[in-house]
Amino acid sequence: MLWIALELPALPLQVVERAGISPGPLVIAEGPAQRPLVACLNAAAEAAGVREGQAIAAARVLANDLRVVPRDAAAESEALQRLAAWAGQFTPMVAIEPTGLVLEVEGSLRLFRGAARLVSAIRRGIRELGFQATVGVAPTPLAARLFARAEAQGRAVRACVALADLRERAGDLPLFLLDWPAKTLARLTDLGVLRWRDVLGLPAEGVARRFGPEIALAIARLMGTVADPREPYTPPPRFHARLELPAEADGVESLLFPLRRLLVEFEGALRGRGAGVQSLAIVLEHNRRQRTRVPLDFASPEREAEFILAIARERLGRLQLRAATRALIVHADALLPYVPRTKPWLPGAQEQALEGERLVERLAARLGHDRVFGIAVGNDHRPERNWIPAFAGKPGTGSTFRHAKSGACPRFSLRPAWLLHRPQKLITQEGRPMLQGVLELRAGPERIEAGWWDGDEVQRDYFVATNARGEACWIYREHRDPAAWYLHGLFA
Amino acid sequence: MKATVAELVQLPGVWRGGELELARLPSIPTGHPALDAELPGGGWPMATLSEVLHDGVGLGEVTLLANALARAAEGERLITWIHPPHLPYAPALAQAGLPLSQCVVVRPADREDALWAAEQSLKSGACGAVMLWMEHFAEEYAWLRRLQMAANAGRAMAVLFRSTAAERHSSPAHLRIVVSRIGRALEIRIPKRRGPPLEQPLRLDLPRAWERKPAPVQPVPANDPAVFVPAAKRPALHIAAR
Repeated sequence: MLWIALELPALPLQVVERAGISPGPLVIAEGPAQRPLVACLNAAAEAAGVREGQAIAAARVLANDLRVVPRDAAAESEALQRLAAWAGQFTPMVAIEPTGLVLEVEGSLRLFRGAARLVSAIRRGIRELGFQATVGVAPTPLAARLFARAEAQGRAVRACVALADLRERAGDLPLFLLDWPAKTLARLTDLGVLRWRDVLGLPAEGVARRFGPEIALAIARLMGTVADPREPYTPPPRFHARLELPAEADGVESLLFPLRRLLVEFEGALRGRGAGVQSLAIVLEHNRRQRTRVPLDFASPEREAEFILAIARERLGRLQLRAATRALIVHADALLPYVPRTKPWLPGAQEQALEGERLVERLAARLGHDRVFGIAVGNDHRPERNWIPAFAGKPGTGSTFRHAKSGACPRFSLRPAWLLHRPQKLITQEGRPMLQGVLELRAGPERIEAGWWDGDEVQRDYFVATNARGEACWIYREHRDPAAWYLHGLFA
Repeated sequence: MKATVAELVQLPGVWRGGELELARLPSIPTGHPALDAELPGGGWPMATLSEVLHDGVGLGEVTLLANALARAAEGERLITWIHPPHLPYAPALAQAGLPLSQCVVVRPADREDALWAAEQSLKSGACGAVMLWMEHFAEEYAWLRRLQMAANAGRAMAVLFRSTAAERHSSPAHLRIVVSRIGRALEIRIPKRRGPPLEQPLRLDLPRAWERKPAPVQPVPANDPAVFVPAAKRPALHIAAR
């Protein structure tokens, strides 16, 4: 067993500052309403002389433009849960602790090519999410937490992979890093027992009798002599994350940074579940009443944050916002199985096809789904029905854009490369059709009679005609009125 | 440092004004040998912007490129039609040998969107060919330059169709051809290419489909499983002896 513990001592602050660092001094207040205390503070507040545990009133004197945010325990636990869901991409065994997470990673070491690389991947990922965590690596969860806390205190602790090294690595660490009751710690201090090495020197029965069986059990669990099972966290089968912005944002550009953080978090959670998302919504909260909902739909389940962000950027760029934005929500109800695309050794046809689908989605996101389409041969003799649009980015139709290859393409006689959306009536001169000069009939007639069965009957004689400039067009006249000529296509 | 002219000419992208640059230009044969002979690199240029100038629609200006388009689409790459004057008609494109499932038609609402769509398509690398129909580009040298860069980045064939009035304005396109029709032949002038301008216009004998003699019954393609191939004609499988 190998455990990685993540400690987030500044979580109350980061919950507030994730959407953007505030330049001024900021403290998180907790404690009784009459006399709130500083629980957490940012660098600017620290520079002004504010310290943890001070009264808010005292802190206000030190920094007069101090921003005080009350501590939000619910938001913190929610943030921890979402962080646990995100960490699910590294291992299925993620447990939530009071101020952090523990991950069991023995089974993932091979995939991530060693503990050192895994730890650096986790550190990098957490930074990208906007959190700061210290990391401890040890064979038991309690020892890993001890190491992570030691790092938070500024002590360098080397990762411990083997249980045999644990006694030596943990030996120098002070006992106050453990969350043992203050009374127990005080009595141990009175005995001159300050470090972990000293505790291990004490006889186990004596410790149990003097300090209670739970302390003896904690020691045994930390050293790995007694099992320390954890309940793995199971994230809910949907995603909902809200991020409050540090200041009201007027434009859309300033939303992209916090949005990226949410989408990276989302990607991690999706990776953990082996899932992708086909439709999600980005909600901009303006105030209590006003919200702007931007739904995003994809042709197939996606999960890459950069891709979703690129689509969202196009959609958001077209919005006319009525009010400034205060908070950002990413919401997805259905997480679908994600089929990972295997990367071939050489970029091949499959990859090109994927690139193509993505391009079509990006185009449709900005231009609208009805303005980007594929074309296919329709099964009808009427020229206007002899083609059908194959809608590309439209949700629901899936990837019909890659419709079946028209292998059995029926043989047509002459067909023009351009078809007019609706036939255009031509002027005539002495019964001859005109288009930039007199048209000479070159080929035809080709008689098309169809559609008597559905009320949209067509009885036409088609001809190919050219004018003096060499433009070739596809014209027809109807049976019921042979004098009227219509232009229907151009041989471009 | 001194370099002789002979050495300089060896550099890619450097050529003498009087001769065609032939070396190492990615290009696709157009299927018209007479035209290919006049194009630097021996074919329609890839990874760069080119222009087809024509007055009037229906000269065969699109079908001229059909072969090159089909080749550019190899490997599941898309052929993007941006702001075409009319609807690209599926049966005709299938006849011309274009893979319909790889054709994407974009009908943008305004110029800005059209240019954006063209740039995105070119840059993405997903498109083998991007065709754009746009008028009034005279003042848009910077935009054309962007398309040129995007085409280079995405290794795509970018073709801009516009009227011959644009010939007066300069363009960053590496190739500009002017197409007009004289009877059975397509007359092609090449006012700009990597090399000297073409002095004599090129007459490409390109009879329209209705001018051709009716083709004999088309032979069935050999890979049709419904057709029996005698064993003697099947390619034998050889196993190399050690």
